[in-house]
Order: sequence, then structure tokens, then C-alpha cells
Amino acid sequence: MFSIFCYLREFLRPEWWKKFLFVKTAPLVTPPHYRDFPVLTGNECSHELRCMMICPAPGAIEVLKNAEGKWEPVIYKGHCIRCGLCVEACPDNVLTSGDILSVNEKEKTYFLASYHLNVDDSICMRCGNCSVACPVNKEVDPQLAYTATSSSNEVIMRIKNSKLTIIHPEKCTGCKTCEEACPNHAITVARVLEGFQDED
Amino acid sequence: MKKTVDVSLPIGPVHPCFKEPARIKCSTAGEHVLSAEIELGYVKKGIERIMRGRPWQEVMFLAERICGICSVIHNMVFIESVERISDIKVPKRAAYLRVIVNELDRIQSHLLANYSYCYTIEHETLAMYLLNLRETAMDQIELITGARVTCAYIIPGGVRFDLSKESEKSLLGALEKIEKDLIRYNRMFESGPLISLRSRDVGILSKEDVKESHAVGPTARASGINIDQRTNHPTYQDLGFKPIVRDSCDNYGRIMIRFDEVFQSIELIRKCLEKMPDGLIRGGGEVGAGETTWIGEAPRGELTYRVRTDEYGRIIDIAIQTPSIMNIEACGHYMLKGVDSAADVTATFISSDPCIACNER
Ligand code: SF4
Ligand code: SF4
Ligand code: SF4
Repeated sequence: MFSIFCYLREFLRPEWWKKFLFVKTAPLVTPPHYRDFPVLTGNECSHELRCMMICPAPGAIEVLKNAEGKWEPVIYKGHCIRCGLCVEACPDNVLTSGDILSVNEKEKTYFLASYHLNVDDSICMRCGNCSVACPVNKEVDPQLAYTATSSSNEVIMRIKNSKLTIIHPEKCTGCKTCEEACPNHAITVARVLEGFQDED
Repeated sequence: MKKTVDVSLPIGPVHPCFKEPARIKCSTAGEHVLSAEIELGYVKKGIERIMRGRPWQEVMFLAERICGICSVIHNMVFIESVERISDIKVPKRAAYLRVIVNELDRIQSHLLANYSYCYTIEHETLAMYLLNLRETAMDQIELITGARVTCAYIIPGGVRFDLSKESEKSLLGALEKIEKDLIRYNRMFESGPLISLRSRDVGILSKEDVKESHAVGPTARASGINIDQRTNHPTYQDLGFKPIVRDSCDNYGRIMIRFDEVFQSIELIRKCLEKMPDGLIRGGGEVGAGETTWIGEAPRGELTYRVRTDEYGRIIDIAIQTPSIMNIEACGHYMLKGVDSAADVTATFISSDPCIACNER
């Protein structure tokens, strides 16, 4: 008996009737850092490739030269998981998605990235593909070709005494081209990342 | 004389009253269930294998994709294990923000669990009420983290976004609404006609059975076992956390303990908001080499991550133990045994809040 009374009370509440007669969905509030696919803000990209390196989704972002010959990140929507990390990682605010960029600027949060190269000597067959493919190497020593035996000591890596030596890992921009060029997966790029916030 | 026929009754993986890809095989005498066996493995993801060799940035996103309902705790436990490995300190404000988001996640997970229970016992009104209420919690998660489920909110050394003053106000308002409505729904479940009657003394899991089967989380706490991994967490210790225990051991107890825990989570969030200092939300620090085991309390029970990293912060080895698998054991071997009618089988199974996504990680 009591339970039936409870039930009647539930359905005799004015609130219930109000909802039943004038049902209305509350307007959707956009969260302060709603994440959509990243889009370009128009700032110039400095080709640091931090966006590519932080992106957790394989194949979601690539920095390519556009028609005017300028660097520009391209987002592949089928792969992007809309995490917004590329927006947070870019030092030049090239990308934006929702309010992430403004939230980052307000809170002074950012990511610092550095890259480490390791070569597994036991599977590296000294083909030099990695050194030839590396865009930084190519800029430093345009002569570097086929055998990757460069005379310059300013390149990131080269074949020396028929062994791949890494000379300047700090110049690496983390683009992972070498990883892709290596037929044996002997070279790997490790991204080291720290999330920071400035005190005001 | 009437003859009782023994039949084997399969429920699932595709079954009108049971929506998860698992099979319950019951041996029955008439309607009475003599024993049950649960068969898994229909949708194995192999996620631990995919994680190996990847940098933590990728693994963090994979971890929260293990379970679509309790993703925040996976993010939290994984990041906390990485932080323990590399000795990264977290600012106080970030630690409290983590707890707030985690408790919001627990609220929505418990409400969803109780929704599916009410739905299974065919009380759709209460079910829909609970599901609607869950949206309030989901909205708050979205407001704080920017996404509903896969929010990737927690990163080594802190969290990604701060809680603004406006969001804080809306969070407090939402908590009030959840509390007010849930008191009513709780009463409906307790005193509504037949709702709880269908769950009392069904699916008994005694204290001894819990010890045998190693059930965890609300399932164990509803049988009088006082274990909650949150008591070992430094931030929760700060908040003076005490686990809730009931001892009715049946479906009713398991549902009620979830209602109780939602109220408890609301209190915890309020305490966090009070105690939360101003300041940084990110500390910084590089992920280094090491190995650790770290346990957290997911909405369903204890969640263990064993992680080994190399000097560049890449995951060499990882093993994840999710709570559901223990509870499914307990459910199949103890709870379902002796259930009086086939209609109670799914209800009993759902009352332990099984998560196939966690099991098939
Ligand atoms: S991080 Fe920014 S500046 Fe660097 S390559 Fe990407 S878009 Fe360009
Ligand atoms: S939003 Fe995330 S997944 Fe998408 S491109 Fe940026 S970093 Fe990659
Ligand atoms: S990742 Fe490899 S190819 Fe790219 S800059 Fe570094 S060394 Fe060169």
C-alpha cells in the first residue's frame, strides 16, 4: 500500500507534470576548451615538427609544403582523434581547435619536447637510407647522397668507418623520416616530453 | 508425477535480454539454475600488445580506450605509475582536480550500472531517470576536460586544463541537482512496488565466496568486505576517505552500495573544491626508466597497472589487471549458482556491473 502511495507521489509532483507538458532540452553549453579537428590560425609555421611528434594517432598530421612553398600542417581527419595536443605543443600557435589555444595562453601551459635517436647496431645494415632521407642532413650537406658518407661534421648522422654514427642528435626535429626510410627498423626516434606551466 | 528436465540454457552473446558479447551457460533444473559458466573472448582487443614499444604519449590514449565507461581511472592510474617511475611531483591543485574528475567519472559509471540493472528488471522509468541524471555528470566532465569519454585530462606532472570560477559554480549546481534527484530515485528503488523485491535475496555472494573468488569493488563491499584502494591514495587520505560497506550480499545490496557511493563521491568533490589551493596545474618532469606496480580504485574495483619503461619514456612492458574479470568469476561461480529463475540470471549478472570492454582489453 505504502509503495503505491510512493508511486502516486512520484507522478503527482508538479515538476513531473511541467516536464511532461513543456519538455525542453537545455541549450548546449560549449565547454571552454571544446575540441574539434585542428584548423590553421594563419600564423607562419616554422617547421619544428612538434605537432607531428606529439600526435598520438599514427598518420593524423603531417607538415607539408603548400603551393606557395611554405610549411603547413595538414590534418587527416580519418586518423585524428581530436585530442588537441598538437595545438598545445606548437610554439608558434599555428593550429587551433575550439578554445584550447586561448586556455593555454591564459594558463601559460605548454609542452617542451626533445628527441633522442637510437640505433640498434645489431640490425643496422649501414645502407645510409636514414641519413640520406633526413631533411636536416640534406640542408646541412646537400652533397650527401647514396652512401651517406659525408665529409661534413655538422650533419645529424652519417656513415663513418662503415658504421652509422650519430653526431648531432640535438639538431633532430623529430620528424621520423629516418624511421620510415629504414628498411630494418634499426633507427628509432624517441620523443621526450614535459608539460610545463609558467608562474606569474 | 511431473518430471524435471535438466537443460543447458545459453544466454548471449547475441540475446534479446542481454546486450554484451559474452555467453552465460546455465545448467538448470526447471527454472532453478544449478551452475553457470561465463564464456568470454568474443571481442578481444589485445591492447597490451599494441602498447608495447610505444611512447607514453600514445599509451596514455590507448589506456583510456580500454574502457568506454571508466576511462578517467585508466588515464589516472597509468599516468600515476609513470610518475612514480620517474619521480615526478604533482602540484596540489592538479592532484585535487584529478580526484574531482575521477569522482565525477565514478558517479556517471555507477549511475549507468544502476540504470542497466533497472532496465534488466524491466523498470524502464527508473532506468531512464538514472540515465538522464548521468548526463548531468557527463556534462560536468565535458565542461572540465573538454570531452565526454576519452578526455586525456591527466598528463605526467599535472592536468591539462584548470577549473575556472564559472565551471566551479556550474559543478556545484550539478552536484546539488544530482543529490536532490538521487535521493528521490533511491527512495523509488527502495520502496517502489516490486523493484527491490525482485533483487532481495537473489544472487547471494557470501563473504567467504568473495574471499574465494577475489571479487573487488562494490561487488565485494556489498558482501561486507572493507577493501577500497582509494584508502591508499595520498590525495584521498588527505580528504579523510572511508569506504562504504554493506552486508546484505545480494543484488539489492550491490545496487544500494552504488547509490551510497554516488552520495559519497558528491561529498568528496565538495571537499576537494573547498580544500583546493590556487596555483600551478603543471609541474613538469621527464619520464624516465624504471618499473612499478600501481593500484587504483576504478568504479568497479581495483585496477592494477604494471609498467616498465625505458630511458626515453617508452613502454617496454605493460600488464593491466582490470576489476571486471574478478567480478565475472565471482558472478559465474557463486552468484548465479542457485538463482531461482532464468529471468534473474541476467539481472544478477548485470548487478555485478560486468564490463566486457575491460575484460577483453
Ligand atoms: S609544431 Fe607548429 S610550427 Fe612546428 S611544424 Fe607543427 S605547426 Fe609548424
Ligand atoms: S588533435 Fe591530436 S590526433 Fe589530431 S592531429 Fe592533433 S595531435 Fe594528432
Ligand atoms: S627524425 Fe630522423 S629524419 Fe627527422 S630530423 Fe630527426 S634524424 Fe632527421
